[in-house]
Formats: sequence, C-alpha cells, structure tokens
Amino acid sequence: MFVQGMMFSHVMFGVLGILCAVALFTDTLNACESNLERIKKLSMAVAVFLVLSYLIGGYWYVVFYGAERDIIKAGQWAWAHAFFMEVKEHVFFVPLMLGIYAPIVAYRNDVCRDAGARKLLLTISALTVLFGLFMEGAGGIISKGLSIGLMGR
Amino acid sequence: MTNSKMDKYTAGFGLSVAVTSLLNAILLLVKETNPALMNAMKAAMGHHWTTHGTMVLVLFVLLGFVFSATKFAEKWDSGKMVWLIVFASIIGSVAIAGFFLPNLPFAGGGMK
Repeated sequence: MFVQGMMFSHVMFGVLGILCAVALFTDTLNACESNLERIKKLSMAVAVFLVLSYLIGGYWYVVFYGAERDIIKAGQWAWAHAFFMEVKEHVFFVPLMLGIYAPIVAYRNDVCRDAGARKLLLTISALTVLFGLFMEGAGGIISKGLSIGLMGR
Repeated sequence: MTNSKMDKYTAGFGLSVAVTSLLNAILLLVKETNPALMNAMKAAMGHHWTTHGTMVLVLFVLLGFVFSATKFAEKWDSGKMVWLIVFASIIGSVAIAGFFLPNLPFAGGGMK
C-alpha cells in the first residue's frame, strides 16, 4: 500500500497545485484589498503542493520506477517512457520553479495597485496550469504504457 | 493602477527562473550526450535525476539571491520580465521535448 499511497499523493498534490494555480489566476484577475490575503495564501499553497509533489514523486521515481520502466520499454508503448517520462521528469523543474516564484511575487508586491506585478503573477499562474496539465497528461500516458507492457507478458 | 519599480527579489528570482529554465535544458542535453557526465551525476547522488534536480534547484536559489543583490531590478520592469519568463520556460521545455522527439512512434522510435 505504501507505493500506491505515494503514487496517489504525488498525483493528488500535483492536481491540488494546478487547482490552486487556477484559483490564483482568477483571484489575481480580480485583485483588490478584499482578496489580497487569499492571493498570498493561494500562491504559497501552489508552492507547497508542487514541492510536495516533487519530493514524493521524485522518491517514487528513484526508488520504485526502475522495474516499471523495464516493463514499459519491453512493451508496444516503449515511447511512453522514452518520450513522455523523459520529458516529464526534466520539464517538471520549470513549473516547480514557477510555483516557488509565485509567493515571492505575491508577498513582495502589491498586486492590487501594481499592474505590472499583477500581470507577472497572472503569467506565472497560467504557465503553472499549462505545464501542470501536460504533467498530468504525460503521467496518464506513462501509466497506460505500463498497462500495455503488462498485457504483452 | 500603476506600474511601480520592480522589487529586487521579484526581479532577481524572476531572472533566475528564466536562466535556470534554460540551464536545465542545457544540462539535460549535455548529460544525455556525454556518458562521462551522466556517470558522474549517477555516482554523485545515486541517480542522475536526483543530482540534476539538486543542481537545478540550488542554482535557482543561488542565482536568485545573486541577481537580487545586483542593480538588475532598476533596469527591468514587470512587462519585460513576463516575456523573459514566458520565452525561457517555453524554449527550455521545447528543447527538452525536441531532444526526445525521435523516440516517438511517428519518428520511428519505440516501434515494435
């Protein structure tokens, strides 16, 4: 159950990071005094959830993925690892840095009055959502690659 | 609504996101084409990806503080920073995807 729990947590924290980034985007679009505190909390939530997803997913990848990688590579969807996992594991650092950068922008600037800072936070949250959706899609294809590999055994 | 001067940490860490996104792609391309570096990264922390991630994140934090300590914020505005981050994150990611593109089925990779 430990391995399944880790995989569940990795995906769950990733999805929560994306959802908070969507909420951050919409709140920043309507930034004013009344939602400024929520914007700060949401930006921090994006960072925390993405870091948790990275640490848990990273541990799982390094410790448990090797056996599954061999099954995927021996199957019909070998490219699920050769393209999607390879791209996912390296591109992930971009949304991770964007997520960590979000609270720096939210806490160090007044996004209510500073149009530039507001645009910057909107861009960061939008990019985080787009990269996050790619991560989720790639994760789905990698899982399917494993299923296909097991079917061929 | 105003466009005030950039905060030094917003400017410094924004530039660090952009630079590190590109360096992330460069490190990937170099380690994948250089077996000696790949082996060194595996030996350093037990797995090349662990070493890669540690290098990227340490560089991100380090460059963030270094850029924050310079006069960089005075020369830049949020508008330029937005475009820099967008271009760097997309170019870095496309470079990584492009490197592995030959592994896709339509390019002849992974076919059984």
